[in-house]
Amino acid sequence: MRLTLRRRVTLSFSLGLLVVTSVLAFATWNLATGYLLRQREAGAARQAELNARLAGASPSAAALGDLLAGPDSAILVLTPFGPVTAGRPVDPGLLPAELLEHPPGTATVTVDGTPMLVVARPLPGGAVYVELSGLQQLDGTFAFLGAMLVAGTIGSALLGAALGSWASGRALRPLAELSSVAGRIAGGDLRARLPAQDDPDLAALAAKFNSTAQALEQRALRDARFASDVSHELRSPLTTMVNAGAVLRRRREHLPGTAGTALELLTSEVDRFARMVVDLLEISRADQTDDPPPEEIALDALVRNVVATREPVPLDLEPAVVIGDRRRLDRVLTNLLDNADRHAGGAVLVRVRECGGRVRLAVEDAGPGVPEDLREQVFERFARGVMAGSRGDDTGSGLGLALVREHVHRLGGRVWVEDRLPAGARFVVEMVLRSSDG
Amino acid sequence: MCVRVLLVDDDERIRQALCLALSDEGFTVDEAGSGEVALRRLETEHFDVVLVDLTLPGLDGLDVVRTLRSRGDLPIIVVTARADARDMIAGLEAGADDYVTKPLMGDVLAARVRALLRRRGPGREAVRVGELEIRPQEGLVHRAGERVHLTRTEFRLLLELAGAGGRIVTREQLLHKVWGYDYFGDTRLLDVHIRRLRRKVEANPDDPALVLTVRGAGYRMGS
Repeated sequence: MRLTLRRRVTLSFSLGLLVVTSVLAFATWNLATGYLLRQREAGAARQAELNARLAGASPSAAALGDLLAGPDSAILVLTPFGPVTAGRPVDPGLLPAELLEHPPGTATVTVDGTPMLVVARPLPGGAVYVELSGLQQLDGTFAFLGAMLVAGTIGSALLGAALGSWASGRALRPLAELSSVAGRIAGGDLRARLPAQDDPDLAALAAKFNSTAQALEQRALRDARFASDVSHELRSPLTTMVNAGAVLRRRREHLPGTAGTALELLTSEVDRFARMVVDLLEISRADQTDDPPPEEIALDALVRNVVATREPVPLDLEPAVVIGDRRRLDRVLTNLLDNADRHAGGAVLVRVRECGGRVRLAVEDAGPGVPEDLREQVFERFARGVMAGSRGDDTGSGLGLALVREHVHRLGGRVWVEDRLPAGARFVVEMVLRSSDG
Repeated sequence: MCVRVLLVDDDERIRQALCLALSDEGFTVDEAGSGEVALRRLETEHFDVVLVDLTLPGLDGLDVVRTLRSRGDLPIIVVTARADARDMIAGLEAGADDYVTKPLMGDVLAARVRALLRRRGPGREAVRVGELEIRPQEGLVHRAGERVHLTRTEFRLLLELAGAGGRIVTREQLLHKVWGYDYFGDTRLLDVHIRRLRRKVEANPDDPALVLTVRGAGYRMGS
């Protein structure tokens, strides 16, 4: 998995600070412990020097006892006749032989788990004065220092992470803004723009983005205007044609024979053309968003209203309320009924049924049915030709079912056609049910 | 009764074709090629209905509708070539009673005109709703004793609602009874008229107390 930019910035900040503070902590540790140890060694050496003089060439154990600095210290005087010791018992074998043979010198040893500083001084007569002093206190200091340094390093790494997170968040904020504005544009709000940026780096990006969005908006507006102009330009001559056609058709009896037939052909085709243009303009506008806000529609009442204006069709309705645009729903049912009239001799049943949180509006006919392999195709634009033999006296626009599909999609539902037994087709529109108490 | 229609459209061929078609339907049709000509003629002559194309050169169709509405309650049908809802709503807001979209058929237009000109219904007793007093026979509406000027369509809409006596009247019933619409119930036509009506009869149009919306069903009269 790839880390997000923000994570990566946070991680680099954190790692960077960790490395820097570790190096610093390490150096501090080395310098401080070295310095402290040397101080301690120098102190102990001076003390031993003094004590060695006080002890003299062959001291007694009691005399050495007076010289002891504390309970943890020990003093050994290694004479050729054997060692004289005082304080903490220490096995001379533990002491570094090098030190005992060639005093003076210092070393550190561990006696019974306790770190001790060993200082050796030569005494007159070949004896060696050895003083051991505990280093626990210094070790305690070291432990404290070490803990502080480790804590500091970890703390700075965490601080780095926090800083990185904050800084990247801040640096990425314009990006988040950009993403939200781009999302709005993709969602259809072409007027969305980035606010002006103070930062010169971001200002260029924002300006570029805004000019791109501007160009997109201009283009969408131009396209819409063009569609609108085409619509206007087509509708005007069509108005003239259909009305002149209607006037001519009323005087059909004055034009017998060939001229009459030609007139019939002309006017019926003009009517069909007009329907086609209206449907075509409607389908090209289907994705435009001038819908009124969705409202609650009692589907059963709507079906009754639409059917009431046509040839009577048997109804089988359950109360159901859906959400959407009434005009689209009207159009869907009307087109399905028109389709049944045109291809199957009329609908035989319109049914509204609740079906597991959804509602199904079905228009049934007793016609030839739709073969299985054409059931997708009939919803295509100008799919009329796919039904063999149905073209002849067809006066439809070839867009009726395509419009049904467009409208149903816009209503958030789906539409399909299935077999009806014993014969015929059933067109089903399925939508989300709002409530069934209609 | 001979219905006189004034047709305002800048396209001469459309005017001619619609004149022929509407004459076939039994109307007397006069033409005007621009808003200015139309307004001039309407000052001196009587017409029963005006058909106004919204895209006119010079004086805009919307301005023609607004001017006519300020003069009185002459029935106006707006004719648009654009099916887009903005134009239609703008036309209705300006005061039109109905709208048709090109390509319009003479017989459809004739049905619309007849629906607009239908008698105001059987002579009924005066109806009182809250502060409103509606006198169907005289076509007058008073609110708290003061005369409210309604267009014919607004008046019929109010009367349909008041006549139901507080029962719900569905949108379809209103569209059918007031405009003679059968289906494709474009409820925006109704919505705009309800808005216009509220502006005139309600004390506070934003919080209506008389013309109440019943969500998902229609409208009813409050008391």
